[in-house]
Amino acid sequence: MLRAARQQEQAVTAKRSWNVVVFSIGGKKLAARTEDVGGVAPWIDPIPVPSRTPFVGAMLAREKDVMPVYDLGTRLAREPEGDTLLCLVARHVDGPMAICIDSVIPSLHNIEVNQIIPSKRMDLETLGSFADEGEDIDIVALQRLGHSRPDSLRS
Amino acid sequence: MSLRGHHKATTATVQTASLLVVRFGKNLCGLPSAGVRGVLTHEEAGRGQSVTAVGITYHDVDLAGRLGTALDPSHPDMRVVLYSNGQTHGAVRVEEVIGMIDVQREECRPLPPQFRQDERTWVSGTTFFQERLVLILSPEWILGELGEVVGTGAGPRALSES
Repeated sequence: MLRAARQQEQAVTAKRSWNVVVFSIGGKKLAARTEDVGGVAPWIDPIPVPSRTPFVGAMLAREKDVMPVYDLGTRLAREPEGDTLLCLVARHVDGPMAICIDSVIPSLHNIEVNQIIPSKRMDLETLGSFADEGEDIDIVALQRLGHSRPDSLRS
Repeated sequence: MSLRGHHKATTATVQTASLLVVRFGKNLCGLPSAGVRGVLTHEEAGRGQSVTAVGITYHDVDLAGRLGTALDPSHPDMRVVLYSNGQTHGAVRVEEVIGMIDVQREECRPLPPQFRQDERTWVSGTTFFQERLVLILSPEWILGELGEVVGTGAGPRALSES
């Protein structure tokens, strides 16, 4: 009984906080829910694809796996920084998608839900934002990246 | 030939895609081989805006430009592929002809669904050749029949490194 109560308490606690991965593009800090991130790997040369889809104009091929590249840096008017850029794999609703990020290793953070401010941004799909060391960090809705309507804050 | 035998022959044909693999910069493209009418060296093709072979005039097609690649005309491996769909005839300058390959249909994949616009008709799909990705181009796009030129976005640092 005590164990069941503890599990319930943990579940409630889990719902009250989000685990997020904080990464950066061109020095600009961004975050994503950990469940929306498929992994981080070294960036490799993308293969250009003629395309009219905004910000989707290349693919990455690792062995026999192919995934499209989402050019979040260009969308944010930022250029990824560092000698060895990294690839953040987004768990997009249409399948995994690669995003080039700064060479700074992403870090894990636990954010209380009451610290998350619903986003009013219309130029980027976000789930909200939170303040960290005086900086507002947008939580990017990786699952819906490229879909124009911003997500609302989920609890 | 029995009907049954004919059916088998048809099935065997559609299970394989025949492609001429060519190189633009570091990237490989597959041209469906049914449209290939010949491959010429730079000297054989000449420096004009068109190439005439066997009574057919093939107009210069800047496929490299549409793929965002600059060709080096002095490159020794450069070739001109004469390409036709029966209506339009194009002379496609490529940096290198890698060779003709037969690919099983199951080894060809469509573009990922994140590519949502006209490119789905420009690029028929992808496959691998010697562990390198090959973009399979549609004959109509190769020949410039599908509209205006749109550049590629290879993402950070890719174009400067290629």
